[in-house]
Amino acid sequence: MNKSTNVVLLIDDEPKIRRFLRAGFELHGFSVLEAENAAEGLKAATFNAPDLIILDLDLPDLHGTEVLEGLRSWSNVPVIILSVVSNEDEKVRLLQSGADDYVVKPFGMAELLARAEAALRRYFKTATENPVVMAGPLSVDLVGRTVSLNENQIRLTRKEYRLLHILAMHVGLVVTHDQLLREIWSGNQRDNIQYLRILVRKLRQKIETDPNHPRLLVTESGVGYRLQARLENGLEG
Amino acid sequence: MLILRVGVLRRDQELPGRDLVAAVCGRNDDHLMSCTTKAISLNSHLSVIPKPAKARAKLLGSKFDVSELDGKRPSHRFRPGDVPPLLMSLLCVGLVTAVLFVLDHKLALNLVPVAYLIPVIIAATQWGIWPATLASVAGTAAADFFFLPPFYSFQVDDPQEAVDLMLFLVVALVSSNLASRLRRETEALRQREKEIQQLYEFSRRLAACFTVSDLISAIQNYLSRALGQQAAFFAAMADGHFEPPKSGPVPKVVQERVASMVAKIGVAAHVIVDEPTQNVWLVRAVCSETTVHGLVAVNIGSGSREVVDSRTRQVEDILEEVSLTLQRLDIERAMEDARLHLQAQLLRDAFHGTLSHELRSPLAAIRGSASVLDSMPLIRGDDRIHSLVEAISDEVADLDGFIQNLLSATRVTASGVNPRLEWADPRDIVDAAIQRRERRLSAHKIEIEFAEDLPLVNVDSGLIEESLGQLLENAAKYSPSGSTISVRTRAERGRVILSVSDQGVGITPDEQRQLGRRSFRSHRHQATIPGSGLGFWIASTFVRANGGTIDISSRGQGLGATASIALPGSRTEASGLTDE
Repeated sequence: MNKSTNVVLLIDDEPKIRRFLRAGFELHGFSVLEAENAAEGLKAATFNAPDLIILDLDLPDLHGTEVLEGLRSWSNVPVIILSVVSNEDEKVRLLQSGADDYVVKPFGMAELLARAEAALRRYFKTATENPVVMAGPLSVDLVGRTVSLNENQIRLTRKEYRLLHILAMHVGLVVTHDQLLREIWSGNQRDNIQYLRILVRKLRQKIETDPNHPRLLVTESGVGYRLQARLENGLEG
Repeated sequence: MLILRVGVLRRDQELPGRDLVAAVCGRNDDHLMSCTTKAISLNSHLSVIPKPAKARAKLLGSKFDVSELDGKRPSHRFRPGDVPPLLMSLLCVGLVTAVLFVLDHKLALNLVPVAYLIPVIIAATQWGIWPATLASVAGTAAADFFFLPPFYSFQVDDPQEAVDLMLFLVVALVSSNLASRLRRETEALRQREKEIQQLYEFSRRLAACFTVSDLISAIQNYLSRALGQQAAFFAAMADGHFEPPKSGPVPKVVQERVASMVAKIGVAAHVIVDEPTQNVWLVRAVCSETTVHGLVAVNIGSGSREVVDSRTRQVEDILEEVSLTLQRLDIERAMEDARLHLQAQLLRDAFHGTLSHELRSPLAAIRGSASVLDSMPLIRGDDRIHSLVEAISDEVADLDGFIQNLLSATRVTASGVNPRLEWADPRDIVDAAIQRRERRLSAHKIEIEFAEDLPLVNVDSGLIEESLGQLLENAAKYSPSGSTISVRTRAERGRVILSVSDQGVGITPDEQRQLGRRSFRSHRHQATIPGSGLGFWIASTFVRANGGTIDISSRGQGLGATASIALPGSRTEASGLTDE
């Protein structure tokens, strides 16, 4: 995914966090801009046109949510939130107001890089229109509407495919329950998360090696689901 | 002080008790002093103290009767103590006679009616009406006998002198009566002044009371000083009975009666007679509006009904003061509690803020930096450095786990737990719990088993995941490395049971009883296994907040333990819900 060098903007008031983020991103070929408060961050986002923004929620001048809203009023740039609170409601709210994903402190660099790559991929996907999404052993052809696991085509029901399609469009990123319910069901079924849980269970039986321990279609407790871009082995560093 | 309260009460009978107390609490001592002085100078009678208790009026008759009885009592009855005054008054009459006898007869005759009034007035003011009456009669007789012709005879020749003599007797009797009444009233005033002074002292002491035990010692002190009586206090205990005083002169019959009483509002007053000594003991509750603090037993003595009544009145007067003070103390305590509660809450918020921000931010920097190092080819190539970096990451992850525990614990105590209920797949919860603790469970073999067709559960997944995680950590802590921990999930009569079984030290019935307590740690392991004792407490609180139950069973010491969480499951069968 190296078009050229991706520019990432770090908006965080803590120098120690910025320091390791800079090191981590530079090590993976990004060029890094830093801002230590919201005002500087918004200015840098306007004038330097970064490809990706990493936004901390606790800023001295504005809350991260307001920065996010300001950005989204004119820009489509991928935004990943750094948060200390593992509060599901807040995560859902941030995702609904336009964040692409989030990581909860303390996090490992690999986790953030995976999210960053997924966000960039989705951002450029709309430009390049490659119709086949790969997620580990799974490939989803968004145009041909076919799904194959380890090169063998598998049959899905209409709703299962719809679910997989949405997740594949956001591969590597979390998709909220609300969004899934809204796009798969209509009418008052939309509010019923039980339908979604059961649909996920059925889809896992078809795409996961062990449906009881899913590694592709993972649950983000209280927030939504995520289709992993690749199978991970154990804990990431 | 007392009069001030009367005024307040009378002017505004509907003033709520608490406001009244607050108003009274706001007094200062100068004001108090002036009120009291006024009270004494106005000769205000004690009986104007407000009497909300009708029962007392019934018991004693009206206040007025009682005070009248107080005054007349000494003048209507003979006692052995009355004899010397009688003799003294006769002696006075004799003295006057002797003096008159020495004087010139004519002069003496003129002085007689006035001179014999002297012993009458002395007797009336010093010893009361009976000696004065005796002095009047004796004076009349002496005048007749010694000074009116015929001398040395009680006969009177001149009718004019007979009339004089009768007039003298009448005047003597009237003035003796007047003088003795004056004396009585002076005495009564002095007595009242003393009582008011004592009550004022008592009020002052009450104003300085800040705890119930201050108050109790004030009561005991007052009763013994003001009444000169034996008094004992029975403190109310938590179980609703009264604790007998450690030492004291309370007779058995009173102790037995008190032992049979129950401490609750409206506890009845008792009058108990101690048979061997014939002493009357008065038992009264010491209570505020809401709580009974104890009972006071006072030895009223064995006097007449009037004496008993008057002392009873005194005891009840002070108990009324006491109950007002208790109300004040109740209010103060409630305010103190509220202040402490607020402080605790602020402290907890500060603690929560510190934990989640000040501690976690540096941790985030350490963890992030270590993860960057770990991804550098240079470090990945060197095993020794790589293992050091891994150690940093691991320790940070542990530390973060502890902080998460503390955060959970403060969350429990802060405002109770408000679960965010949502239908969830129990498999997701179990997987997440195991995954989050993968590192801590790495020394054990983990066996995971799911029943087919598990219903969904309506819970806060985050909380249940945390609870299950705590159970997993405990299982790992209390069982040997290399042993198996099995995690089973099954449905049972509409409930979903998540159970964690280990092959560890097990649990004794005694430990099992104490498990729910915060910070409980078994003595067996305190020295050998680190921990805060918060884990199970957090787990059980979270599970209960989700409408579930938690349970630990063990086949015995050394035979492993099974901890289970039971959660309410969905009624509808899972497979029936979907698709086309």
